[in-house]
Amino acid sequence: MKKWTLSRIWEYCKVHPKVFAGALILFVFLILSLLGQVWTPFSVTKMDPLSVSQSPSLLHIFGTDNFGRDVFSRVINGCGITVLVALLTNLVGGGIGILVGSLTGYFGGSFDQILMRINDMLLSFPSVLLALLLISFLGPGTLNVVLALGILFIPSYARIARGEVIRFKDRDFVRSARLQGVSPLRIIFLHILPNARISLFTAAAIGFNNAVLAEASMSYLGLGLQPPTPSLGRMLFEAQSYLLNCPWYALFPGITIILMILGAALLSEGLKES
Amino acid sequence: MKSVVNKLISLIITVLVISFVTFIVFSIIPGNAAIAKLGVDASPEQIERLEEEMGLNDPIVLRYGKWLLNALKGDFGESLQYSGTKVSALLSSRLQVTLVLSLLSMGLILLFSFPISLLCVRHQGKWVDALLSGLGQVLMAVPAFFLGIMITYLLGLVLHFFKPGAYIPLSENPSRAVLYLLFPAISIALPKISMTVRFLKSSIQGELSQDYVRTARSHGMSQGKVLSAHVLKNALIPVITFLATIIAEIMAGSIVAEQVFSVPGIGRLLITSISARDFPVVQAIVMYITSVVVTAGFVMDILYILVDPRLRRK
Amino acid sequence: MNLVEVNHLSVSFPDDDPYDGIEERDTIIRDVSLSIQKGEVLGLVGESGSGKSMSALSIIRLLKQTARIDGGEILFDGKNLLSLSEKELCDLRGLGISMIFQEPMTSLDPVMKIEPQVAEALRLHFPHMSEAEIHQRVIKVLQDVGLPDPQAICMQYPHELSGGMRQRVMIASALITEPKLLIADEPTTALDVLIQAQILDLLKEIHEKTGISILFISHDLNVIRRLCSRVIVMYHGKIVEEGETLRVLDHPRDEYTKTLVAHTPRVQTRPKDRVLLSMDKVTIYYPPRSFESSLFKKMPLEPYVFDASLTLRENEILGIVGGSGSGKSTIGKVLTGLLGTYDGNIQVFGSDLKEVLKTPERPQMIFQDPGSALNPSRTIGWTLMETLRSGLKARRKNETEKEMKEQILSMLREVDLSEEIYDRYPRELSGGQRQRVCIGQALLYDPEILIADEPVSALDVTVSSQVLRLLLSLQEKRGMSIIFISHDMSIVRSICHRLLVLEKGRIVEEGDTETVFTHPQHPYTRQLIAASML
Repeated sequence: MKKWTLSRIWEYCKVHPKVFAGALILFVFLILSLLGQVWTPFSVTKMDPLSVSQSPSLLHIFGTDNFGRDVFSRVINGCGITVLVALLTNLVGGGIGILVGSLTGYFGGSFDQILMRINDMLLSFPSVLLALLLISFLGPGTLNVVLALGILFIPSYARIARGEVIRFKDRDFVRSARLQGVSPLRIIFLHILPNARISLFTAAAIGFNNAVLAEASMSYLGLGLQPPTPSLGRMLFEAQSYLLNCPWYALFPGITIILMILGAALLSEGLKES
Repeated sequence: MKSVVNKLISLIITVLVISFVTFIVFSIIPGNAAIAKLGVDASPEQIERLEEEMGLNDPIVLRYGKWLLNALKGDFGESLQYSGTKVSALLSSRLQVTLVLSLLSMGLILLFSFPISLLCVRHQGKWVDALLSGLGQVLMAVPAFFLGIMITYLLGLVLHFFKPGAYIPLSENPSRAVLYLLFPAISIALPKISMTVRFLKSSIQGELSQDYVRTARSHGMSQGKVLSAHVLKNALIPVITFLATIIAEIMAGSIVAEQVFSVPGIGRLLITSISARDFPVVQAIVMYITSVVVTAGFVMDILYILVDPRLRRK
Repeated sequence: MNLVEVNHLSVSFPDDDPYDGIEERDTIIRDVSLSIQKGEVLGLVGESGSGKSMSALSIIRLLKQTARIDGGEILFDGKNLLSLSEKELCDLRGLGISMIFQEPMTSLDPVMKIEPQVAEALRLHFPHMSEAEIHQRVIKVLQDVGLPDPQAICMQYPHELSGGMRQRVMIASALITEPKLLIADEPTTALDVLIQAQILDLLKEIHEKTGISILFISHDLNVIRRLCSRVIVMYHGKIVEEGETLRVLDHPRDEYTKTLVAHTPRVQTRPKDRVLLSMDKVTIYYPPRSFESSLFKKMPLEPYVFDASLTLRENEILGIVGGSGSGKSTIGKVLTGLLGTYDGNIQVFGSDLKEVLKTPERPQMIFQDPGSALNPSRTIGWTLMETLRSGLKARRKNETEKEMKEQILSMLREVDLSEEIYDRYPRELSGGQRQRVCIGQALLYDPEILIADEPVSALDVTVSSQVLRLLLSLQEKRGMSIIFISHDMSIVRSICHRLLVLEKGRIVEEGDTETVFTHPQHPYTRQLIAASML
């Protein structure tokens, strides 16, 4: 195995431009969202009657909204929450999903079958719809969005982990480990799952993508993050009323969401191809 | 035949299970129907009397049974936010709108995805393919509501193709209503077209590398003819299942699109009902969406069996 | 008169390592010249990667699009195929030259009935032929390839036919236009031993009846010997030897050909009397698979092997042979503990098998596919270390990490591998090296009984005899007993002391290897021996 030196990473990126582009976009957003939590050029909430609905300029590079708030500041601040929600939901969904999926996949039996049928049923529904239903039960709010989306992501992670475990569990190297008396947990986590890392990374990128999309949609519909928590989806909802006067208020949060999703999509596709 | 019956039974079970689960979930939620109806200021006696009257104190299975019997007759109870209005009455007018919207979107998807994917396969590696693939990649990343907002802005406010927010009911002027619905339908369809094109393209490319293609070529068939004579039929089979997913996605897309374009459909009703905690309405809409999704899956399964001889049994 | 003449042909592919950033081309075929005479069956033999299939695909001009012909000429009936347009090539394929392929399972369109697939070449090349005549020709050719009830087969789909029948359908679809040349690319490799022999007989019969020229590609020398009058040996994209089949195979001149035809090593040891393992009337079942049966009703277990009795003596190599589905691997699975559902008594070292399986003394297994037997995401060192850590926990006496590594390195040396292998991943190893690692892994236990399930059938001929030689020398040095499961009669003959023949889960014959081969009692044994053409 060759070492992952800088020059080798660079060569890898040249061969897999999608991975490179996706990772770069996500990295930039991560930096921006971290920045947005500690410092923004203007106040996120303070309204300024003197600079209402200004078009993008050197001072306000994304323009200002109908209350005179700086759109750029609001966008990078909102990014932070979006990224945080997306990461947390995937952590919850991925953690539980991978655990459940790999265990049931390895041991099989009727419990596995029943669980997977429920899984298939849930996966045939669009995730936004299920998220809305969970929210109607839990009520809106940041924590509830994380909870609802986290629960929703369990089936897809479980399905992938299960599929990978099943793909490998009858390979001879696993049989051989079983014959040697290696414990099942050790087989799953040390022998099988390292082989599934590409699929799981891909799933995580897709999960990030879905989480961003679902959070934005729910906030737009007024059922996600609640004011005063800044949120890109919410901003788009507000911007829609002032579309004619300040279209940039809708444009920039929208483009931000698109870029984030695009980054995750490129990363997941690139990983799948490599 | 046997597998069809089995699938039908599992379809019915699925719908029943989901209706039961949602029914229970909505019964657990604090704030019951009686309070919602009378308002928070009502005296405990009043509430208790109404609860008795509405049968809220019965065991949950009994209440579910009653609800199910009525639902089968088309009666989903009364709405809480529009008190006195039957849920079925609320639904029926909106159902029409959503149905037209969904059909328009489906039509657009079917109309555009197939020619575009063929175009891409024919010109694989050339600029047409690169351009369309790039465009598709970006479109897939656009959230439905943002696409809706952009269409509102560009086609509505700037180009004046339609007047955003000025939906005319179907009953008043069907043709203008359909014309208005075309724009939300575009916003639903565009990302799904990209998804379908991509799926179809990779399906065709996968089939092109199969051994039977080489066999046909060894018989003296040209590459183009192999595509139409062998590859397309094989490549379309997995698309059938994919279409079931697309139908479900259209349902989700219309919830958002109706909100963006202020179209009075099921989706909009769902959002307002969730906000107002109007659970009889939410429950009815959940049942509607479930039936559509599950039925679509069932129909596609049957089609699959009909088209793929490997699954057909004598 | 030569039907095909290939002169100085070179073909290259783009370099498949994208990381070095330089665009290079790998030459797959270099300067190959060969000719096929009218009415001749020419064999093209070589191991994987020798360029034999690429040569054949170049003649019918069906190489992948990334392939490039760098030079030479291909003459068919006097025409240079390299100067023809794509349209002219289409007119030639299926009419002048036809081809059949290795995988009959995937080489037919799964959603199309048999009739249009067999008639395809006819419809393409004779657009004016009437439907009635086409149908008549299809029925005739299906009869010619020995398919019963051609009318019914016409209306069936490929998945409804067995592998052998599909390959017959493939042959029919290639022959329907009565081409001058048939290219057969490993047409029997994917088939079961007995079916293989039938297809070869069919090709021979067709050749004798029609006088068609055949270019027959195979890695299997026995197949070539049976069918071809002349043979060409390829190695690393070059022709190394060519001549009359019997001359080349029996008196090879080239060094590579010599290693190719070298006989499999012979067993030198003698078994001792002590019985290590005995099975007494053992019936083996597979556990039910499907969900419904496990949940709702107790399905009766389906037996795979019936009333099997066998003994294995110290220092003995016992061969178990049979076709696919005969249950030979099932016995191996039970003895190593992969399968626990059986009735009857199995004794190992005088105690019950189930007890022995709990100890490190249990029989060790060598799997068929060394690619699947090693964890792809772990280094060889990790895998072997895991064996010491988990499998041999009971026997360890507080060795340090360093001592354990030393133990592994000495084991690698014993199976003729260099110590560098320790830090390698399985994908960086060749098939032969992987199988050596697997053997080494089993040897870490210092086993008395080794069960080898088709250990060389996934390997090339020359590698296979090296691995067998290693196995035999280890057996001699360590005094092991081996149960050798195989479908290959020629290997079994030279390395086994005693043989068991299995048919559909029943032991139909048992005896000393030489006795079984010289005086087979059961018809199935006779068929197997005949099919292996010894």
